[in-house]
Amino acid sequence: MQNATSRRQLGALAAPSLIFTVGMIAFPILYTIWVSFHASSATGQLRFNGLGSYARMIGDDRFWAGIWVTFYLYFLSLSLQLFFGTWLALLLFNAKRLPGVVRSLFISPFMMPPVVAGMMWIVILDPSLGVANYLLTSVGLPPSTWLASPRWVVPTLALIDTWQWTPYVALIVLGGLQSLPPGVYEAAEIDGAPRWKKLTRITLPLLLPTLVTAMVLRSVDLLRFFDLIYITTQGGPADASLTLNIYGIRTGFEFFQLGYAGALMITLSAIVLGAVIALNRLRAAVAW
Amino acid sequence: MSMSDPMSDRSARIANSVMLFIAGMLVITPTFWMVLSSFKQSFEVTAYPPKLFFTPTLENYVTLSERTPFLHYAFNSMVVTVGSTLLGLILGTPAAFVASWTRITWPAIVTLVARMAPGTLFLLPWYLMFRQVDMIGTYGALILTHGVITMPIVIWVLLPFFDNIPRSIYEAAQVDGCAPARVFWKIALPLVSSGLVVSTILAFVFSWNYFLFSLVLSNSDTKTLIAASFNFIGEGSTNWGGLMAAATMIALPPLVLATIVQRWLISGLTLGAVKG
Repeated sequence: MQNATSRRQLGALAAPSLIFTVGMIAFPILYTIWVSFHASSATGQLRFNGLGSYARMIGDDRFWAGIWVTFYLYFLSLSLQLFFGTWLALLLFNAKRLPGVVRSLFISPFMMPPVVAGMMWIVILDPSLGVANYLLTSVGLPPSTWLASPRWVVPTLALIDTWQWTPYVALIVLGGLQSLPPGVYEAAEIDGAPRWKKLTRITLPLLLPTLVTAMVLRSVDLLRFFDLIYITTQGGPADASLTLNIYGIRTGFEFFQLGYAGALMITLSAIVLGAVIALNRLRAAVAW
Repeated sequence: MSMSDPMSDRSARIANSVMLFIAGMLVITPTFWMVLSSFKQSFEVTAYPPKLFFTPTLENYVTLSERTPFLHYAFNSMVVTVGSTLLGLILGTPAAFVASWTRITWPAIVTLVARMAPGTLFLLPWYLMFRQVDMIGTYGALILTHGVITMPIVIWVLLPFFDNIPRSIYEAAQVDGCAPARVFWKIALPLVSSGLVVSTILAFVFSWNYFLFSLVLSNSDTKTLIAASFNFIGEGSTNWGGLMAAATMIALPPLVLATIVQRWLISGLTLGAVKG
């Protein structure tokens, strides 16, 4: 029988990607775990440090500030995107016909590089000459310093990210809406239930699994939020937007504290993994 | 029998269209402003109050290509993006085929891990690895690292396409004495050609857009457009028109390509969790 040949050929087909995975993905992750248990000296020598880096993290104010910023940005952005995304999806769903050009328009924010979104919003939100402040002041509202303000920088980043990713959430939710069985509204129609009641009692509960899927996908990106922050503020002003991810990379590549940077990155990865596991549990709970 | 009266139905439809229009304006206006600003002369782009009407000029684009290394960075971006897309296809396509044929799960798990892990997790060891073999700042290092973005995309886009091929086709081929490599090359690949187009385009877009790896691993000669954005922002503090022209040009390739595959975009981006 050609079973042996068969197995050998299948192995050969999968081998290149397996080798690549081991070398470029698995080994680096293991190395980062290993290095997080070491400390680097000024000369670049690594020595065993046990749980030293993790102990240092507990006493490090910037680490806790980073945790706070990470979760503040995460919850703010996620709730804005879920709310507006669901709203936009319902509008798109009720519009019945959706010309291709409208769809292209809605995918444009999230398919452009986040770095470009940052460049664009830097100009729009410029405190003295930007068009955003011009619009605010022309309707009688006070101007904002946006990204330059320690108080407003995180909400501003959340706003930019919401602009960029709301259409993505909307298209996911729209997919969910389109796959709802058409019969679910029949009883409500006969009872003459008002529109909002159909929405809150029938549509939204049935949409929950799709909403959780959108949450998983956005959570993974939002918890390791990087590009937009790095291009606009690099964690400033006064560390007000220094997420765990930005703190980790600056520790590694500006201060070359490899062990501590490794520990920060492992911690962040554990947070992302934890969020994904928790949300997957939630998805199982709301499945129908 | 429907109980809702036609008048309120009609006003609900109009309200829906109006709100959809407003949402569309909110989505498109910032991008529109970026493109508009890129056609303004330097004294007009920082005019206050901002101008909506002006005489358009190509000055910013001309300056960008003649007085800055923009085209050089664009070339670097092309080399890295095309290289890593090809690498992703070469590695990912057979892996997706084998995963679909044998139902092994590691390619799917790799995909998930690579999708979830912060890029920073890989960067430290890569930096040390590439420094060891003197590859920092080379196209090779950038293509290899961007392969970690492209290979998982190729696998997760192609897996459902391979899964859709009826197993009876494989079995008939095997009865005829066709070994797996031949089945892959002669039978499966032609059947997933649209999947190959989608995965190629998505891999290209994600590799083009990726910031972190080239930020750390490129040098001034191999810098990609995305990593060079910092230079444009530095100069942009005095020249917004040039900055917006650069931003527009950098965004153009992914936007054009994404439009082509928009039918498959959402299911591709959500690992098939959502049918778009």
